[in-house]
Amino acid sequence: MFKRHERATATPEVTITIDGAPYQVPSTLSVAAAVLMHQGAAGYRRHAAGGHRAPLCMMGVCHDCLITIDDAPNRQGCLVTVEQGMRVRRQLDEAAATATRWDTANHASGDEQRGRDDADL
Amino acid sequence: MQTCEPRETVGTDGSKERARVVVLGAGPAGMAAALRLAEAGLRALVLDQARAPGGQIYRDLDQPQLDAAVMGKDYHRGRALVGAFLDAARRGEIDYRPGTRVWWIEALDDALNDALNDGLNDAHRLGVRGHDGISRELVAERLIIATGAMERGWPFPGWQLPGVMQAGAAQILMKQGALLTEGPPVLAGNGPLLYLLAWQYLNAGCPPRMILDTAPNLGLARTLRHPLRAWRARGYLAKGARMLATLRRAGVPVVRGVQSLAAEGDQRLTGVRYRRRGDDQEHKLKTDWLLTHMGVVPEPQLPRGLGIEHRWQEAQQAFVPDRRDDLSVRPGVWLAGDGGGIGGAMNAEREGRLAALAVLDELMADLMDKPQDTTANAKGAAAPRPDADNRRAVARDSARESARAIARESAALRRRRRLDLSGRRLLDALFTPPADWVERQPGETLICRCEGVSQAQLKAALGAGPAGPNQLKAFTRCGMGPCQGRLCGTNVSRLMAREQGRDMDEVGYYRIRPPLTSITLGELALAPSDHLTTQSQ
Repeated sequence: MFKRHERATATPEVTITIDGAPYQVPSTLSVAAAVLMHQGAAGYRRHAAGGHRAPLCMMGVCHDCLITIDDAPNRQGCLVTVEQGMRVRRQLDEAAATATRWDTANHASGDEQRGRDDADL
Repeated sequence: MQTCEPRETVGTDGSKERARVVVLGAGPAGMAAALRLAEAGLRALVLDQARAPGGQIYRDLDQPQLDAAVMGKDYHRGRALVGAFLDAARRGEIDYRPGTRVWWIEALDDALNDALNDGLNDAHRLGVRGHDGISRELVAERLIIATGAMERGWPFPGWQLPGVMQAGAAQILMKQGALLTEGPPVLAGNGPLLYLLAWQYLNAGCPPRMILDTAPNLGLARTLRHPLRAWRARGYLAKGARMLATLRRAGVPVVRGVQSLAAEGDQRLTGVRYRRRGDDQEHKLKTDWLLTHMGVVPEPQLPRGLGIEHRWQEAQQAFVPDRRDDLSVRPGVWLAGDGGGIGGAMNAEREGRLAALAVLDELMADLMDKPQDTTANAKGAAAPRPDADNRRAVARDSARESARAIARESAALRRRRRLDLSGRRLLDALFTPPADWVERQPGETLICRCEGVSQAQLKAALGAGPAGPNQLKAFTRCGMGPCQGRLCGTNVSRLMAREQGRDMDEVGYYRIRPPLTSITLGELALAPSDHLTTQSQ
């Protein structure tokens, strides 16, 4: 887990829930930072291949921070700032891990991508 | 300057918006560019993905979380620039839009340009996902790309384990919320940022457990080979030496000549293995956190998405966009800051101003041209009145004077930029990542984290003789995941170049297509329909 430094500047806090449990976090944090602070890196998210992953870059590059925010899956947790009442859910079951692959529009060619999306729907 | 506002404004129904100058990114380069334009009375539209301006280097300085005693003066130096930018935005001199992402960009062809833009100049169309999650289209008459750098993807066995992070990520957590790892981290790699982070952790009362330095031990020899550069880089070198001395005094062990590195653990990191050059013994170390760094490279998505040519720079071990002397990359587009080649924050600020001056220079040229083709004269109609002539002459003179002032300012900035960059090339030499690192890794090492493609799989696919990285992608899915090849792209090109005995420019890089950032199909469906039409053509 990550701890907040004792000499950190006083910063307003917001309450969010992570997998249903409430946490108070500084309002400057990204969702990914809030999860790392309270849950640590282990079990941040499950990769389609089965292993667990956690954010590598924290700046929008690696996409290992994908997480469900207010019921919207696969948001880049490192690019979303926490807000009061935000509901954060880690994507740890197999279905969510697999969906990550299909739901994010990526570099596959149009036809290939469409084929997969249809299969998923 | 006249008409400073965008000529059309937001269409909330998702219709087109157009702006005279769009700046992409609010890091040092983007902020400096927008401020310089604002000084001249030109209101730039600034799109940035973050909550607050600053880029990565000056991020969260609107609410700094740790003081200069921990973070250092270089970080807090950015407060002046961030403050000035936010003040100008509050006064309405900059149209700043945080939390926005450009996922699509396209240069209009001539016919389309004439129809949409009255043939004024080359224009660019952008797909912008707003803070509200809705995509809109934006037409930019002139564009300054200032999207900065990212950390180099640096694969080794186990780098996908939770508990392994890039050094920049750890620093972002400090800037964002004064967050530090629980338990001392092990730092591995090379480059100024690695030592800066070690020093910041030490200042925060959490000295790193160990620093594993992967640089070949050529540092001093290389420095002495370039005495003039060493002199020009003395500021950087002295800063580095001070940090290193502080870390030594505090008893932080620095292991040099590290040649191999592996992260161990099942569902999270539990330890690190490493081997030193000329030492057969493998060393093991238990740790929950491994923070790695192997330098930064230009963030490729936007320039590549726009089709800008890139060239391999051996010294930076990176593909770098081709820029002209005035930082332009195509008509109406400039590239400023680390996105055009790594030069650091001070250089980025200078380049931002230079790009803004180039934009102003073009607009001045437009102004000076206009009085000459007075339609009244051309048609041989009524003789122009003397006072109107006089006013025109005065306007022309003042435009000429402004153009001269711009030229002087640019020249001074260019001179300082040249000196600074010359010193910085020495840093490149000191911190060159090992060129054979990727191919030296054990076969099971993931090169593509997103799709889980290993180095051995890639080498096997290379045996089938793919023509380039795009075909290799089709063979293996390497680079097809949500990060869009940003962590594997250069490594794949490198593997291919080595295995096939070709040079990097010949091998090239993935072809980057929209979406340039990940966007869900739902968001895509919300986008105005005409870009979807364009895309499917």
